[in-house]
Amino acid sequence: MTTFHTVDEGRFHVHTMLTDQFRTRHLVAKLAVPLSRERVTETAMLPYLWLEGTRSHPTALAITRRADDLFGAMLRSGIGKRGNRHVAEVYLTVPDEGRLRGADGIFEEGLGLLLDVVTDPLLEGGGFSKGNVERERGLHRKRIESVFDDKIAWAMERALAESLHGLPEGLPRLGFADDLEAVTPEGLYAAHRALLQEGDVHVYAIGAFDDAPALANRVLTALREAFPDARQAAQPPGVAAPVAPVPARSGEPHRVVEDQPVQQGKLNLVYRTGVAYASDDYPALLVANGVLGGFPHAKLFRNVREKASLAYYASSRVDALSGLVMIQTGIDPANRDRAEAIILEQVEALRRGDVAEEEMAFTKRGLANQYRQSLDVPAALADIHFGGVLAGHTRTIDELLDAIEDVTRDQVVAAANRLQLDTVYFLRGQGGAEHA
Amino acid sequence: MRESSDDRLGHVLYHETLPNGLNVFLLPKPGFQQTFATFTTHYGSVDSTFRLAGEPEFTTVPDGIAHFLEHKMFESEHGDVFRDFARHGASANAYTTFDITSYLFSSTQDVQENLEVLLDFVQDPYFTDENVAKEKGIIAQEIRMYEDNPDTRVFYGLLRALYAVHPVRVDIAGTVESIQRIDKETLYRCYRTFYHPSNMVFFAVGGFDPEAAMAVIRENQARKSFPEAPRIERQYPSEPPGVHQDRVEARLAVSQPRCLIGWKDPDPLPPGPGILERELLTGVVLDVLFGRSSDLFDDLIGEGLIDQQFSWEYERTPEYGYSLIGGNTPDPDRLAARVEAKLDEVRESGLPEEEFERCRRKSIGRFMAALDSPSYIARHFASYHFRGADLFQTVEILDRLTLEDANRRMREHFVSGQQSISVVLPKA
Repeated sequence: MTTFHTVDEGRFHVHTMLTDQFRTRHLVAKLAVPLSRERVTETAMLPYLWLEGTRSHPTALAITRRADDLFGAMLRSGIGKRGNRHVAEVYLTVPDEGRLRGADGIFEEGLGLLLDVVTDPLLEGGGFSKGNVERERGLHRKRIESVFDDKIAWAMERALAESLHGLPEGLPRLGFADDLEAVTPEGLYAAHRALLQEGDVHVYAIGAFDDAPALANRVLTALREAFPDARQAAQPPGVAAPVAPVPARSGEPHRVVEDQPVQQGKLNLVYRTGVAYASDDYPALLVANGVLGGFPHAKLFRNVREKASLAYYASSRVDALSGLVMIQTGIDPANRDRAEAIILEQVEALRRGDVAEEEMAFTKRGLANQYRQSLDVPAALADIHFGGVLAGHTRTIDELLDAIEDVTRDQVVAAANRLQLDTVYFLRGQGGAEHA
Repeated sequence: MRESSDDRLGHVLYHETLPNGLNVFLLPKPGFQQTFATFTTHYGSVDSTFRLAGEPEFTTVPDGIAHFLEHKMFESEHGDVFRDFARHGASANAYTTFDITSYLFSSTQDVQENLEVLLDFVQDPYFTDENVAKEKGIIAQEIRMYEDNPDTRVFYGLLRALYAVHPVRVDIAGTVESIQRIDKETLYRCYRTFYHPSNMVFFAVGGFDPEAAMAVIRENQARKSFPEAPRIERQYPSEPPGVHQDRVEARLAVSQPRCLIGWKDPDPLPPGPGILERELLTGVVLDVLFGRSSDLFDDLIGEGLIDQQFSWEYERTPEYGYSLIGGNTPDPDRLAARVEAKLDEVRESGLPEEEFERCRRKSIGRFMAALDSPSYIARHFASYHFRGADLFQTVEILDRLTLEDANRRMREHFVSGQQSISVVLPKA
């Protein structure tokens, strides 16, 4: 099965995968730094600011048109949160030039554009271009505010913020709207330099390439040129501590209720487990979560939705790096107590070993299906691999699937007993009266 | 089984029409792990008044019933269909649009078994008073979820503004009130009318063997008996050409307003390749005017009137067609005025040739890239099939579009009497 071939050089890591499965070639650059309250907003803005202008393409419009000219290359950036790391990402996909007339050389052009975007921004005085910063300040404010408009995402974000309050993991991925006024072109440039100097730099290339070592070398050469002061990095290369799961804590769960004039209530539960991707127990936690709420055959879907008819969605998922298990449901606010009782009963059932052979088998097959399907999606492959890099333990998809296959019911029960209810968040809709 | 190969797209498509009228299309993609299969009926939310040829009366059914039927198909007499898929490691789902209902699975193992499960559950309705009542609670929550979603609200608001009587103005899931009127008898009636194999298409794409898959489907269908292919008569109210309202508003718990500006096509368009051509041509025009690489997009972002969520869309069926643009904006009226000014300018000057070429080429590149996504292909193939068009003609149509076509289309489509605005404002 397909795996990444990795070349490391100091903080630079180039991961290539040769496959002729796709009609597009995929490039992803990921730069990770520790999440910190001081830098969170500035770092969050960087990947978007990069697309506002480079030295050779000084405006967002010029960059977009440049990508369009590469046969509609898709160029996107974003900010991610993986455990206690803040991850700035830029993706570029270009059509496979072998399949398009007149497209020779577009991959090289695309690679150049991607690296320019990350490392060669439009500068002015001692910082980013003032005009671009102003534009991005407004856009970033809207980006932050938009989370409020998507109630499913909002409820999840709020539940996590409550559960992880005071920890770097609990900082919002996009930063704080309140910080935006104080952000300056110089401060942003300092954050940019810190990201380029302190962060680990990972570049993934997936697609139909003739020569993987030559490609890796080409990328490494470009990285060395683009990061001239890499050797004076503030932090010695390659020693960033692996991301550890959020530790379990004692005490009663936090209970949070929020009122909004919405039609549907959202009941979200957050559990800490202390188990994350690198742990030997992780495959068992994946299976436990799958039995609980990962699939339509899982306990939550069957009992909250199908039997009690209380919700349209009722599911759970594991965060691989923080080791949190998060349950989310959308319910009529009047049914809150009933829904919570049914959810808690499903977790209890799992803990006491009420897990049928069929639930085990279906869940393992379902997980195998999900991971094998990721082999069809280059961005997902890079994400899974990168999660392993951060956790300090990479596994191939095959290794992960073998480990899942070997999980026993006792291990699932043990994993379920690691679930410690940390936060119960309830968004209470008050708009129902409009429909009475 | 008929094979048609396309050198440029680098694939072979297999097609067979079975004796019961079912059209089966198979697109192997060597190297892919998954098989993505869809079983789709030409029945959507707009098909609310209909009869089978020979029946005395047209029936009008409650809003949201096609979507309700989709939910109910997942229950069979022996239990839950999700279990049957789970047994074979597949993930299953379904969706209802204005004009189709599609059932699907994707799996990386047991492809033949999963093909059978898909065919069998869609051809085995099982409705009881009890299971119909139970579904109402679930769907009510689905409706409530969308009621809180500003993008859904602003979208349906626009359709209600554009259309006076056509059922495309009705939410696909219906309302919490309308679904209360749904009972098992009406569900069976809709099922018998629209789920005959001759009104359906089966499409699979991915890493499977087409001969083996076709054999499974052929044998599965041969085992079952169906009545003669019925002739379905659909009745749509006569929609006036102009828009119903030029502006609608709603209030929600959001941080910033949403605004969509839409234009309604006044003309019917017979099923056929012309539908796809109209979509692609209008898409290029919209991209030139409002896409991410347009001057206007850049100006509007610079003025703080839009953000990166701003987007365009065009949808065309034989019965109706509309385009829309929009997203978040602090000032819907100023946004609309800026758009109108831009349209005045290009009606005069025409579209810039360089921009037209860039967007046309980009559209080709993006389509080629989308062929890497089995779910994209599957979803679009069935949808175009019932509109008489072939998704895989996309590149050849884009190849021959000209600037003259685009300018003509631009001038005929963006007409002020055909325009409505839908706004969602923050609750005070």
